[in-house]
Amino acid sequence: MKSISELTDFYYKTLYPVLKELEKEREAVKKRVIKLGISYLLIAAFTGLLILRQSNRQIDMFLFFCFAAFTLGAILYKYLVKGYKSTFKEKIIAPLIKELDENLEYLPQQHVNETYFTRSRLFTSRPDRVSGNDYIHGKIDGVPIQLSDFHAEKRHQDSKNNTSWTTMFQGLFIVSEFNKNFKGQTVVLPDRAQSTFGDLVGNWLQSNNFSRNELVKMDNPEFEKEFVVYSTDQVEARYILTHMLMQKLLHYKKESKHPLYASFVGGNIYLAIAYNKDLFEASVFHSLLKYKIAMEYLKTLHLAVGVVKELNLNKKLWSKI
Amino acid sequence: MSTPLIIIIVLVIIIILMYNSLVAKKNQVDNIFASVDTQLKKRYDLIPNLVASVSKYMEHEKSILNEVTKLRAEANKPNISNEHKMALDSKMSAALGSIMVAVENYPELKANENVLHLQHSLNEVEAQIAAARRAYNQAVTDYNNALEQIPTNILANIMHYQPKKVFEIDESERKNVNVKELFNT
Repeated sequence: MKSISELTDFYYKTLYPVLKELEKEREAVKKRVIKLGISYLLIAAFTGLLILRQSNRQIDMFLFFCFAAFTLGAILYKYLVKGYKSTFKEKIIAPLIKELDENLEYLPQQHVNETYFTRSRLFTSRPDRVSGNDYIHGKIDGVPIQLSDFHAEKRHQDSKNNTSWTTMFQGLFIVSEFNKNFKGQTVVLPDRAQSTFGDLVGNWLQSNNFSRNELVKMDNPEFEKEFVVYSTDQVEARYILTHMLMQKLLHYKKESKHPLYASFVGGNIYLAIAYNKDLFEASVFHSLLKYKIAMEYLKTLHLAVGVVKELNLNKKLWSKI
Repeated sequence: MSTPLIIIIVLVIIIILMYNSLVAKKNQVDNIFASVDTQLKKRYDLIPNLVASVSKYMEHEKSILNEVTKLRAEANKPNISNEHKMALDSKMSAALGSIMVAVENYPELKANENVLHLQHSLNEVEAQIAAARRAYNQAVTDYNNALEQIPTNILANIMHYQPKKVFEIDESERKNVNVKELFNT
């Protein structure tokens, strides 16, 4: 696997001609979006005013129109930038992934199968709708890994039969093989109770969480502050979470700068990083030549695929030889 | 219902809950010690094989090998106390550690597949023991805390519960396992 600086070199050297071409396309699309956007806004505003006048200021009608106009605008915008976005994935993200490690395959339209998400036990309820994209899978140092953007949602229905959707999780979802044998289930979650309610009440709340297995108190104060661990087996949880792995998970969390969920179920390690946005998407309003924008793509990609090396999943020291 | 009766009922419930939590903590310690014990036995079972494989080559380390055998014999005696088991365990860890270091000085041993396999098995068991020890220490800490904290300490005193000792965790165990050093082939 390539390092982040090698990847940056590749981005600015090999991909430079493509980037320049793409930059031209971006400028053109941006102009078109702004032009069409302004005309659309003017037409919509005019029609809106007309409706307001014609319908004797019926606010319902006007609100409905606003909603329809907004939806249509969003669809129109999506349609306009679609070409640019897919060219970006095909010409920039795909070669970057190949450069990172040639054993990786990239499928921009697909995502990690929902069964993995449910099997991970990271969330206690099943999602009602899942979506995602940017599926990457393959082997790194012989360790199978798959990851993608993942969005899991829950449906809610109120008494008036109105349905609404809330996000359970949105971000990167990574599945890989763990380097030790184990039988039970161990789940590592961001510690919300202890940081909100303090040690005493937080600890009590955590030990009385009936939707989870037994609470496991870890002997690393920093880790214990950031995470809460539940497991079916007190000893096995510590067999998996050695002092070294705890430190590495802490480091990984710091690198990603977002809430990290991890679980160890059925021989696999599942990692979920809640970025709360769709990753690896190009915006027509930001230039790809800018260092900051480029580094964000490179870093996220490197962090996601680098999990095998970062957590030493390729070192099968124990019984898994 | 009269107020004093309600107060008595609430008090009884609190005492029952406290009693149950103390018993649960004590049993948790015993349960986890059982898994420590299982892992320790697994390690003791590896020792005759290890001693047999390395003793042909290790002339200068006869004393450590003898000590390991002696420790194993002592650990296999029936009815030894938990404290004694813990003391034997730390001696055994130290002795096995020095054997493993000594193996590095014998190229024939390093290349020996049987020894290599034993090293892997020992590493695996050591990792399991380390995990079990940490779980045990946490259970003991929870138990000892309950023995000292108000209000459970009053009940614990009546029940004659005694504080328990934790495993001394060797500083070297906290360090990262250096794979290169282990398999320096």
